[in-house]
Amino acid sequence: MKQAHCIYQDDTHRWLAIARDPTKPGYIIDTNEYVVVHGEEALLCDPGGIEIFPAVFSALSAECDPTRLAGIFASHQDPDIISSLALWLEFKPDLKCYTSWLWQSFLPHFGGQDSTFITIPDPGMTIRLGGLELQAIPAHYLHSSGNFHLYDPKAKILFSGDVGAALLPSDHNDLYVEDFSRHIRHAEGFHKRWMGSDRAKRDWCERVSRLDIDMMVPQHGAIYRGADVQRFINWFAALEVGVLRG
Amino acid sequence: MNAPERNLNFTSTNRGELARIVLVNEEIKAIVATAFRINLMALNAIFLAKRAGNAALGFGVLSNELRRFAQDLTRHMASLRDMTSGSVGSVTGVVQQQRNSAILAAAIRLSGDGVPGVKDARKRGATRLAEQQAKLRTLDMRLRAAVEETQQLVELGGVLARSAKIEAAYGGGFSPALMQVSTDFAEVIAQIKRSLEVLGKERLVKD
Repeated sequence: MKQAHCIYQDDTHRWLAIARDPTKPGYIIDTNEYVVVHGEEALLCDPGGIEIFPAVFSALSAECDPTRLAGIFASHQDPDIISSLALWLEFKPDLKCYTSWLWQSFLPHFGGQDSTFITIPDPGMTIRLGGLELQAIPAHYLHSSGNFHLYDPKAKILFSGDVGAALLPSDHNDLYVEDFSRHIRHAEGFHKRWMGSDRAKRDWCERVSRLDIDMMVPQHGAIYRGADVQRFINWFAALEVGVLRG
Repeated sequence: MNAPERNLNFTSTNRGELARIVLVNEEIKAIVATAFRINLMALNAIFLAKRAGNAALGFGVLSNELRRFAQDLTRHMASLRDMTSGSVGSVTGVVQQQRNSAILAAAIRLSGDGVPGVKDARKRGATRLAEQQAKLRTLDMRLRAAVEETQQLVELGGVLARSAKIEAAYGGGFSPALMQVSTDFAEVIAQIKRSLEVLGKERLVKD
């Protein structure tokens, strides 16, 4: 069963990573969900799909009061990102969902009303959470055409959605990247195939290189921390993307 | 709350409910198509009676009655069809709510009842489900009443078809043609009767 791991804490400001579910059926891709807690409010990043909702809800409830959830951040529109939306709204009907304006009329197919969605313009925006200012960082075409990452300047954590994702073998249960060279092999095929635009990739690498990042937390695979963050950015900048093979 | 408490096996039951309403809908569509055929058959019978002249005066009166019957039947079936297409939406709504409630119940089971907000969420879900099920029950009652009314109308159609057969015997040289038409009527009406019997046994909601 999934568990919530506290990856950052400073007083009432916390980041929880809900990762690794050994009981999940193998045909469903493994996902990481992240919860940013600040004071009395919490924001859930990429809550995942319908089938894993019980596991995510239970893991979240073990570490944080779920009634404090003020919003959901959906990096993009994929089913493994946000198809559980209706279930979170079933629990808390007044939840807000932050997502690219591009998906404003698509995501309601998963659930919610007009008032549920707070759309993010292409250049990004500030998302306020109990006095904390989080930044929605543009990551368009990586891989979705309307795509955002979330940066917490206080915790120096970048939630990077599918960028940095690695499809790890089932026996790799480390929460953090321990050996970058070994780990990145599991990320290479994914990034080559899923990241469709070289220009978008270079833009993103430049943009995030200017941020002060201690941890980069992707939606699949292990968390990059310390020097591995810049290692990843350099590796990604050099990678040929948008190719079927090679 | 109606959500199953043990696991997520609710899907097969709910698929059954959806399958049932789809079956009802298809049965009604079949009867509508048959009713349209009767309408054309009645028109042909009227022309045939006119051609037969004095020999088929009685048959002519009956074929006019059969045409009226076919028109009434088409109206009945159109209203039944509206009712069932509304029911498909309602059943789907119930299925969706049951699925959401069941997944939420599974999440609550894993987290424990002590998690804040879960009682309210359960209550909201149960209220929504009860409202949707009540709506479905009302639709079911209306559908059953409408089917019974249509069955009575079809009984009348059966009587008209039998009388047309008798009148066909007095049709002189046109007798074989008139007999064929009235036999076709009787067969189609029997087919509608059978479909309505199937429909009468179906329920949108379990008792």
